[in-house]
Amino acid sequence: MTDQNIDFSMVLASAVHDMKNSLGMLINSLDELRTDHQDSLAHSNQFNMLQYEAERMHNDLVQLLGIYRLGQNNLVADVDEHYVPDFLSEQLARHTPLLDGLGIEYTIDAEEISGFFDEHLLTGVLNNTINNAIRYTKSQLRLTAREQDDYLVIGVEDDGAGYPESMQNTSRLSFKSVDFKGGSTSLGLFFASSIAAMHNEGERTGSIKLHNGGKLGGGVFEIWLP
Amino acid sequence: MMRSDQTELANPFGKLTFLVVDDFENFRLSMRQMLRSCGAEKIELVAHATPAVQYCSYNHVDVVLCDYNLGEGKNGQHILEELRHKKLLKRSSLFLMVTAETSKEMVMGAREYQPDAYLTKPINRAVLEKRLGSLIRQRHALLPINREIDHENYPKAISLCLEMLPKQPRYKTWLMKTMGELYIQVGDLAHAQKVYDDVLAQRELSWARLGRCKVLLGNRHFDEATSELRGLIEKHPDYMEAYDLLAETLEKQGKVPQAQRVLEKAAEHSPNALLRQRHLAEVAGANQDMDTASEAWRQTVSLGTYSIHDDPEHYLSLAQSLSDLSEGDLEEEGAQRAEEALNVLSKMERRFPEDESLPLRSKIVQSRVQAGQGNDKQARKLLKDASAEIESFKELPADIGLDYAKTLFRMGEDQKAKDLLGELATQFENEPDVLQKIEGLLDEPVGFRQKIKARGLNREGIKAFEQGDLDTAITTFENALAVVPDHAALNLNLVQVLLKKSEQETNKADLLNACQKRLARLESLPEQHRQYRRYIALSQKLKGLTA
Repeated sequence: MTDQNIDFSMVLASAVHDMKNSLGMLINSLDELRTDHQDSLAHSNQFNMLQYEAERMHNDLVQLLGIYRLGQNNLVADVDEHYVPDFLSEQLARHTPLLDGLGIEYTIDAEEISGFFDEHLLTGVLNNTINNAIRYTKSQLRLTAREQDDYLVIGVEDDGAGYPESMQNTSRLSFKSVDFKGGSTSLGLFFASSIAAMHNEGERTGSIKLHNGGKLGGGVFEIWLP
Repeated sequence: MMRSDQTELANPFGKLTFLVVDDFENFRLSMRQMLRSCGAEKIELVAHATPAVQYCSYNHVDVVLCDYNLGEGKNGQHILEELRHKKLLKRSSLFLMVTAETSKEMVMGAREYQPDAYLTKPINRAVLEKRLGSLIRQRHALLPINREIDHENYPKAISLCLEMLPKQPRYKTWLMKTMGELYIQVGDLAHAQKVYDDVLAQRELSWARLGRCKVLLGNRHFDEATSELRGLIEKHPDYMEAYDLLAETLEKQGKVPQAQRVLEKAAEHSPNALLRQRHLAEVAGANQDMDTASEAWRQTVSLGTYSIHDDPEHYLSLAQSLSDLSEGDLEEEGAQRAEEALNVLSKMERRFPEDESLPLRSKIVQSRVQAGQGNDKQARKLLKDASAEIESFKELPADIGLDYAKTLFRMGEDQKAKDLLGELATQFENEPDVLQKIEGLLDEPVGFRQKIKARGLNREGIKAFEQGDLDTAITTFENALAVVPDHAALNLNLVQVLLKKSEQETNKADLLNACQKRLARLESLPEQHRQYRRYIALSQKLKGLTA
């Protein structure tokens, strides 16, 4: 073989792009199926598992593309001002069929504030975090937003077992520190921390924080945006 | 559960008319299903652009949900442009682009027309209800303002924005953006600047920085605008509007080569914006960079296939630039370009059969192309046909006249060309743009390569003159005039150097004689020419010296 100079990351990226769009179609069909067969499917464990895994793959692929663009220095935060309660309820809406199906209760507890962020990038982070919370929670999910120390803090809380000790107090993650044996969770945290760090205002930079507790007593994911 | 603020609109979907555009029947049907379950009643489904535009021509539509990728033919962006351009969609209507893309690449396409929102697939009912619901509520809240804007009652719209600002904090971004644009529209730059500065004082937002630069440009603070725009582009390399505005600023300063570089960079990032390619083509043409110009015209023509901005002028400009490039180039490349020019012209005539001036305009260019390839007989025949048609005009339109004169020069009919340009100068004496083109043609009725050569020599001559090296200046200007013998400024430059030289010589006769000959070349210079006064002044000075 002579083709040693294949730009493999580009080949991967375009394949990922294609898979992501395919999964999008698949998820659409699942949504339709759920609507059409509400009675038989809504609480079927297999069906909910199918949807959860499809969502998870879709999120992973979106993330992968984001990380690819990050590596190409091709990802720039396009910050604008957004009304936070509206933004959060739009984010949650995508997950409500599955949440309802699994019998997980959900609430939004947001101050009536506006914040400055790139909505596309933050959508990627929140989809992933919510999806992750769906996996680890027992019965409840809570989205929060508040202003603290001049930062906008968006939180995703659950009532599961919480994050293991080793993952808590995450400061800035570098790509090297990502433990790929940890699967998509570590990659997700790297992505979230990179997106947070792209939000700057003067000297202040965004970050993510993980701890346990919160109102629901489980894991708490927070993204702090200046 | 979730807090609800739907009190003001019981069923926000109910009274509105929806149009769904998607080439997949399944998606159309599922979208209808979802809209219905949200409470919508009037929903129209179409698969492609043509029926979409047609439906909007005859029906009022409040919300368009349009898939970006519609297979072969026009895409969602084309539909958006067509609807907005033909004013088939009011400002108070919503256009939502549905895409599978999470990145913002498509946003970079157009500069004038952007959808009200993007919906990213997959979309379920809950997402649609939330997203569309809040857009509809926003539309409802902002309707009084948009209605005034639709009626072009801008001052009233501004005062409504000011009233709403403290009451509706969630629409602050929209209100501030809109106010800035409206103040610029009514020419109140001071207030526009205040809007943008207020936003920027709180946070560095790119739209506000761009708005501020528009104000700076309006106030002719070019350097400040240039440096702020360069900073903006460095931070946001995919913010296309910043490139466009920077190019415009540089052009206004006369820095046309720099403007071209900025547009080239923008076209690299976002090659599918027709208007930007056209702008690049025009700027490159002004810079005599015919290779770049013809490539940008080629892109403009190709992007026009499905665009509302398609225009026969693009085809003509492409053919003209190819004609310039191929002229006198009898190698394979020249022949290929000549052939492409002829193909483009015939494609244009077929595509725009209703424009009656095109066959003539096409012949004028064809004749030049044939002449440039040494096909004299064909060139003559085409010119003869064109002349007959030209004579039937009572008042020749400027663009036809100019291009015809260019062909006349190429065919060696210089006197006829000059007479025609003289007539045109009188006819268009109040139109500086036309006059400038007439001057350009009178001065340099040659191909662009010779133009570039003559311009270079002119600069060298001026430099030598400034350094006091009169002999070099004289030789250099003479060399330039060998290329473009009727160039007004060049002839006058030479006369000036010769007069200066004659001051140092005892035997002045030869030098003054040479001046006389130079000035005689300009006898038919139209009064409207910018060099005319200088010509008269130097003629009188010479008269005084020879009397």
